Amino acid sequence: MAELISTKLDPDSHLLLDQPLLRLPHELLRKNLKSAQRHIEIANKGIATSIQTLTTHSSPADTLDALDATLLKAQTLKRKLKALHAEEATLHRQQKARIAHLQELHDIPTIADVKYDVWAQTRLDRLLVDYLLRQNYLASARQLAEAKGIVDLVDIPVFEECGRIEASLCGVHGEYGDVREALGWCAENKQALKKIGSILELELRLQQFIELARTDEMDKLMEAIAHARKHFVGGQDTLYGLRAGGVLAHAPDTMVEPYKTMYAPTRYPYLAALFLRTHHTLFALPAHPLLHTALSAGLSALKTPTCHSAHNPHRGMFSHQHSSDKTTSTMSRPSVPPLLTDTPVCPICSTELNELARGVPYAHHTKSYMEDDPVVLPNGRVFGRERLRGLNVKLGVPEGRVRDPTDGLGGAEWAWGEVRKVFIL
Amino acid sequence: MDALLTAHNTLTTHANLSTTLTTVDHLIDLLQQTRDNIAGPPPNTAVSAPLQIAKLKGPIRQTFEKVEEDLKEVNKGLNGYQKAWKEKFKGKDGLGMEGSGESLGGGGGVGLGLGAGSGVASGGLAGQKGLVERAIAMHLLREGEFHVASTFVKEVSAQSRSRNSDGIEENHSWLDDFTTDSDNVDMEDEHLEDDYEDGELYGPEVMERGYLQRKFAEMYRILDALRNHHNLAPAIHWANIHSDELGARASNLEFELARLRFVELYTSSKSDPENMDDADPSFSGPIAALRYARTTFPSFHPRYTHEISALLGALAFSPSLPTSPYHTLFSQEPTRASIATLFTTSFTTLLALPSSPPLLTTTNAGALALPVLTKYSHILSRTRSSWTTSQELPVETPLPGSMNFHNIFVCPVSKEQGTEANWPVMLPCGHVLARESLEAHARGKGRCKCPYCPVEFRVEGGGKRVFI
Repeated sequence: MAELISTKLDPDSHLLLDQPLLRLPHELLRKNLKSAQRHIEIANKGIATSIQTLTTHSSPADTLDALDATLLKAQTLKRKLKALHAEEATLHRQQKARIAHLQELHDIPTIADVKYDVWAQTRLDRLLVDYLLRQNYLASARQLAEAKGIVDLVDIPVFEECGRIEASLCGVHGEYGDVREALGWCAENKQALKKIGSILELELRLQQFIELARTDEMDKLMEAIAHARKHFVGGQDTLYGLRAGGVLAHAPDTMVEPYKTMYAPTRYPYLAALFLRTHHTLFALPAHPLLHTALSAGLSALKTPTCHSAHNPHRGMFSHQHSSDKTTSTMSRPSVPPLLTDTPVCPICSTELNELARGVPYAHHTKSYMEDDPVVLPNGRVFGRERLRGLNVKLGVPEGRVRDPTDGLGGAEWAWGEVRKVFIL
Repeated sequence: MDALLTAHNTLTTHANLSTTLTTVDHLIDLLQQTRDNIAGPPPNTAVSAPLQIAKLKGPIRQTFEKVEEDLKEVNKGLNGYQKAWKEKFKGKDGLGMEGSGESLGGGGGVGLGLGAGSGVASGGLAGQKGLVERAIAMHLLREGEFHVASTFVKEVSAQSRSRNSDGIEENHSWLDDFTTDSDNVDMEDEHLEDDYEDGELYGPEVMERGYLQRKFAEMYRILDALRNHHNLAPAIHWANIHSDELGARASNLEFELARLRFVELYTSSKSDPENMDDADPSFSGPIAALRYARTTFPSFHPRYTHEISALLGALAFSPSLPTSPYHTLFSQEPTRASIATLFTTSFTTLLALPSSPPLLTTTNAGALALPVLTKYSHILSRTRSSWTTSQELPVETPLPGSMNFHNIFVCPVSKEQGTEANWPVMLPCGHVLARESLEAHARGKGRCKCPYCPVEFRVEGGGKRVFI
């Protein structure tokens, strides 16, 4: 029963939504480390070979030149590592801020605590920024994060890069996209992508191949074959080689499937979606915005059958249909009764969420949840006796009389004697 | 949490690239030294250059070995963090982040679990982009983030324009409600002012362009005066204008504001220069309060008589108020913070909006309900069963009493919730059943007995619909 439910906070299950928060900086740190490893490997090889060539008798000038080149390599390595170290420091700062943010929750005993309100507000801000970033509303996301001081709790650069690559893949207005940036990203994350068995790079290479085959010029076609030999051989999926062959055999205006679809510009949105999916998997980001997850659970948990009922006194007044057809809907819509209750307006009944909640299931209850001492007015409306009395005092209804407060000042009035006790089990 | 913190500290203190950088610095020093030696004074250059180079090999190899060691240390630190992270969220990975998130389709465990049964949940909201974004825009406005809101509206409309030109239809009609048409702003302002002075807040003009911006801008202006400038005047003015509507909602706001003003005058203005001449300065406060009381209080409803006489009675004790029986009245005065809350509630109620942001309440409820829903969807997937009622959640999602906004009727016979189709019906004895339960119970009978008490009644006209 609702009133018996404790408001005690269980931080561990409460943080279900917040796992990615601590996960992403970690994944980025790993990526950072991988980059460092790669740079070091390259430098190591480069330096070793230049030193190797030096031992064979060479003139002092050559020796000096080669040594300078080696020195330069070492310095490049240092520069790169420095950049990575700075990036690492930023990530560490973020990580710290996030751990501290989640730690705060552990110090809050109940959800009735005022500190919980503050914490939850920050959580909502995080969810909102995450949503804005995912929908590519970057300026709004940045502004909101800055206004709320939560820049370290959200991942603006990650989504900026992701959004940029996605946009480059999509192309503008049905034009062909560009796979170069996405391929660059693949190169950066080569090992990690291999580990999860991603087909993204192959798909991108195939797209390059398709573009070459599309031209119908001999030298481009030759280039296509070279491209296929380079990228579609080896231990990978042999299917790509077969497909490439098929594409080459069919002219761009073919009606034969699957080659028709492969030549189509719709492959770019597909690649963009594939990139997005791969990106989120790689960085352990949930596929859907967390706001959706939190909202759908919350909407259902709060929703009651009353929320979309015509008899609901709380129904928000800006129901949204009327914006499509102003005159008819405002005509058909009964003027909303000036609602009166001393209870807060239900969030599901409010204009913001009412339409959104229409499709979700309502909460499951096994017991009635009523105000104390329920009574029924002659018009069938049920109230808690004390609340009804209090509201009538506030409305200035004369003693001994009672009015349905949902009808405001102009409501019908009865004698208190007509109010009946009602038994709700 | 502590384990995570420790792991994080390890990362910041030594498991990072700083040691690697020092090692690389050594390498550069080494190379530089060799170079200097070779390029140095001619006598030993030619002879020893190859030797110097040969001598370099070993140290270089060692340096890179050292670098590798350093990186291993970083890797160890990261592994430690990952372990702490996994430990922290052990058994709680309901959101499809098990392992290192390796399966491509693994994301959104909850969405999939619930979505399979009902076609809604998180996956379903993706199709409601317009509505979600409208809710966000309203939320930003009510939070007073007007700049963010306007950027947001701009970005949404830019994106929807480019999508529309791609032939993707989306419902973004809500955008109209949020765009201020700069040419018409002044005109509309007057227009709206007229509207609500006539008390026609609910007219069709209600969603005029930029209406909500203006409303919330007004709210924040008044709140700012109230909170930061200790100025009650704008709030009192607003309350006066909306007196009738506030009255219809049984709001105490107007009276509370007047009461606070009275107390403020009484206690504060001890050295008000205007009142210095005509009376003892120590009485200027109470006198100003009396003046205010005479002009303001008579207009209040009789239900405040008691409070008003108490306030006026306090005037008699003016210099020694703290020892008077009235001092409790003054010390328990509504503070500015509580008045601000009351004002926010009243203001949003007049807009028919909840006083606390619906998105906040909903995400909070979501966080509380998610563990239950996740657990349920795990059980579902383990038993390979599915949940068939799409109208109602399959499990109870416990929320604290403060998140119960409606009375809830569950029929004691059928255990079903009262709905639009199966509404609650009151029997002559006062017991309430669901309509369908009563019909089933009374089928084929002329008279029947209440299932819960001895009262018998005629079936025809025996039940009366109630609204709970």
